[in-house]
Amino acid sequence: MKKTEGKRRRKSVSYSKWAYIFIAPFFISYIIFTLTPQILTVYNSFFENYRDGLTQIGPNFVGLGNYQKLLTPDSAGVIDVLKYFGNTMLLWILGAVPQFAVALLLAVIFTSSRLNIKGQGLAKSIIYMPNLIMASAFSMLVFALFNNIGPVNKLLISTGLIDKTFDFLTVKVSVRALIASMNFLMWFGNTTIVLMAGIMGIDQSLFESAEIDGAGSLHVFFDITLPLLMPILSYALITSLIGGIQMFDVPQVITAGKGTPNMANTTVIMMLNNFLSISKNYGMAGALSVLLFIITGILSMFVYRQMAKQYKR
Amino acid sequence: MKKLVSILTAAMITLSFAGCSAKPASGGQEADAQGKVFHIYAWNEEFKGFFEKYYKVPEGITVEWTIVPNEDGQYQDALDLALMNQESAAADEKVDMFLAEADYIVKYTNSEYTQDIKALGVTDFSNTYKYTVDAASDANGVVKGVSFQCCPAGLIYRRSIAEDVLGTSDPAEVQARLDSWDKFNEVAALAAEKGYLMTASYASTFRVFSNNTQSPWVDKDNNLVIDPAINTWMEQAENFVKNNYTLTAGIWDAEAMAESAKDGRAMCYFGPAWFYNFSMGPAFGEDAVKEGTDSTGDWGLVEGPQAHFWGGTWLLAAAGSDNPEMIADVMNTFINDEEVCSNLIEKEAQFTNNQAVNAKFAADPEYGNAYLGGQNDTALFLDLAKNIKFQNHTNYDQLCAEGLQTYFVEYLKGEVDKETAMKNYYKYLNEKFPAVHTPE
Repeated sequence: MKKTEGKRRRKSVSYSKWAYIFIAPFFISYIIFTLTPQILTVYNSFFENYRDGLTQIGPNFVGLGNYQKLLTPDSAGVIDVLKYFGNTMLLWILGAVPQFAVALLLAVIFTSSRLNIKGQGLAKSIIYMPNLIMASAFSMLVFALFNNIGPVNKLLISTGLIDKTFDFLTVKVSVRALIASMNFLMWFGNTTIVLMAGIMGIDQSLFESAEIDGAGSLHVFFDITLPLLMPILSYALITSLIGGIQMFDVPQVITAGKGTPNMANTTVIMMLNNFLSISKNYGMAGALSVLLFIITGILSMFVYRQMAKQYKR
Repeated sequence: MKKLVSILTAAMITLSFAGCSAKPASGGQEADAQGKVFHIYAWNEEFKGFFEKYYKVPEGITVEWTIVPNEDGQYQDALDLALMNQESAAADEKVDMFLAEADYIVKYTNSEYTQDIKALGVTDFSNTYKYTVDAASDANGVVKGVSFQCCPAGLIYRRSIAEDVLGTSDPAEVQARLDSWDKFNEVAALAAEKGYLMTASYASTFRVFSNNTQSPWVDKDNNLVIDPAINTWMEQAENFVKNNYTLTAGIWDAEAMAESAKDGRAMCYFGPAWFYNFSMGPAFGEDAVKEGTDSTGDWGLVEGPQAHFWGGTWLLAAAGSDNPEMIADVMNTFINDEEVCSNLIEKEAQFTNNQAVNAKFAADPEYGNAYLGGQNDTALFLDLAKNIKFQNHTNYDQLCAEGLQTYFVEYLKGEVDKETAMKNYYKYLNEKFPAVHTPE
C-alpha cells in the first residue's frame, strides 16, 4: 500500500522541496554560526585550555574540573559565579520593572482610539532613540556626567544640595541606580513598540464592545488588553530576561571592568570577559557559558510557564 | 543539473583567474623585497606624533597604525591576536613593528613573535642606555627592539606651592626637603595645613615603590608576591587618604590631572619626561592654553625620595614582517640620528635614548625646559639614568600593578575592608591569569 503511494508521489511534481530550499539558508547559517560554536563550547568546557603569556597551555582533558573550580566557594563561603549571577539579576530587575511599567503605559496610551494621540510618530522615534546609541558610548556619556569632576557633581555642589563631591561611580547604590536607569532608558522604547504591535493585533471590536458595555479603562486594561497581550508580553519579558542575563557593556564601561564596588556590579558576562581577555581561558569560559545556558533555559521556562498558567483558560 | 555544472565551471574559471592575477602581484613584491604597507601597533598617539614629524617614510610605502588602549590589557589582547595570525595574514596586513612597555615587554621579547634586530641592520648601540637594550633582549641576549626614550623619573613639583609650603622653589633646596620618604610624609602634613594636596592621586607614588621592589610580582613558582615596598606604598596611601594629603582618584583620572592646572592644589607628581610632556594635559600644551588652565613654568624637577624609572616605549620588530629594511631604518633613526634626537629634546621635551645628544643638551647653558621654568631637566635625568637597572619583570606586571591600585582604592574609599579589597584583587588576577597562584 505504502509502496504504491510512494511511487505515485514520485511521479507527481512536488513543490515541497522549494519550501525546504527557502528555509535552508537559516538552518545552514544556524548550524555553522550558532549550533557548532555551542557544541564546541560544551566540548571546550571539559579541557584546561588557556594561554600563559604567549605560551599555550593545553588543551588537557580535565573532565568536570572547570565546573568544580567555578562552583567552589572561596574562604568566605562565597561562590563567585553565583554572586555575579545575583548581581546580574538584580541589575536586570531594577531596570526591567520600570521598563515594562512605562512601556505598557505608553503602549496603551499610544494605541488608545479614545485618546487618539497626535504626533505619535515623533514620540515613538524619540523614545526609541536611546536604543540607537551604542551602549558603550552611552556609558561613556554617563561616566563623563557623573564622575567626581563631572557636571552633575558641580551642579549639586553649586546649588548647595551636597557640600562634598559625591562619588557616584563608587557608591554601591548609585552605581546600581545608574546602570539600571541606563538599561531602562535604552530599552523602554523598544519594549513599547513591541507591546504596541501586540495591542494593535487585538481585535478592536473587543475594545469597542467593552466600552459600550460601560467598562472603565482599568477594567479594559486588566481584563482585555493584558490577557490577550500575554503571548507578546511574555515574549518581550523572556527576551529582556535573556538580554539581562547577558548584561555586559554598561556595567563594564561604568566600572572600568572591575564591578566597583566590591564586585557588586560584576555581571556573569564580565566574568566571562575576564576569562577570555589576556589568557584566552576557553576552558573556564566554556564551563561558565554552559552554566549560563542551563540557567537561562530554566529561567525562561519558568517565566513562560508562570505567565501561560495565569491566563490560560 | 546542467545549470549547476555550468555555474560550477564558471566559478572555477573565475577562481583560477583570481589565482593567476594574485601570483604576479606577489612576484612583483619579491622584486623590490619591501611590503607596501608598514603596519605599527601602539597603545597611544605619543610615538605616532614623533614618527610623523621626524621620520621620512620611504616612497611607495604607506604607514598604517592600529591603536588600542592599554588599560586592562586590551592592547596586549589585540596585539597577541594579530601576532598569532601573522603567518596567515596578507602581506600588507602583517604587523611590522609594535610598541611595548616595560610592564609587558618580556612577554614579547621572550617569544618567537619578535626577531633579532642586529640581523636586520640595527647594530650600533654605543649611544643607547644599557638598560634599554637589556629590556629589549630575550633570555639569551638576542636584541629584539630599541627604545626611543630613556625614562628615569623624578619628582615634579609645583614651584608656587613649594614656595608657600617650604619657603623655597629652588630645586636643590626642595630636594633637600624631600629626599627621603619620612621627609616626604612630613612635608605632606605641612602642605595639607596650607590647604594643598601633597599628591593628586593615592597612586602617584606607586611606581616609585614598585620600581624599587626586591622581588618580581610573580616568583619562579608562579606565586604572587606582594613585596615589602608595595606594602609600604599601601600604608602610605592609607595614611595620605586618611589625612587628606591626596585624592582617591586614579593616577590617570581627569580628577587627578586637573589638580595640575592653573588653580590646581597638588604639589607633587612623579614621572619621567613623558609624564609632563604627554600626560599632564591640563597643565601644558595647546589645549591647556586654550582652556586657560595652563600652568607652564610653575614646575620644577628633582630626584625625590627614591630613584626610579617608569615605563618607556620600546619598538619591537615583529617576526614575519615584510618590511625589514624599514624597521631597521626607523629604529636607527630614533636611537642614532642626532638631528631627530635633538628635535625630540628641544621640541618635544623628551629624554632620548642617545647619551651623546642628551649630554650635549645637559651641558648647554642655553637649554632649558619651558614647562619647568627653564630648568635643564636633561641634566638631572642624565644623572638619574645612570642608576637604572631593568630587573624583576614578568609577563604579568601590568595587571598586577593596575589591579592592585583599582581594588585597593575601594578600601581607601571606605567601601570594603582591607581584607576584602585584597581578596577581590586576588580574584581578579585568578580570572585574568589562571597560571598565577594567589594567597588563599
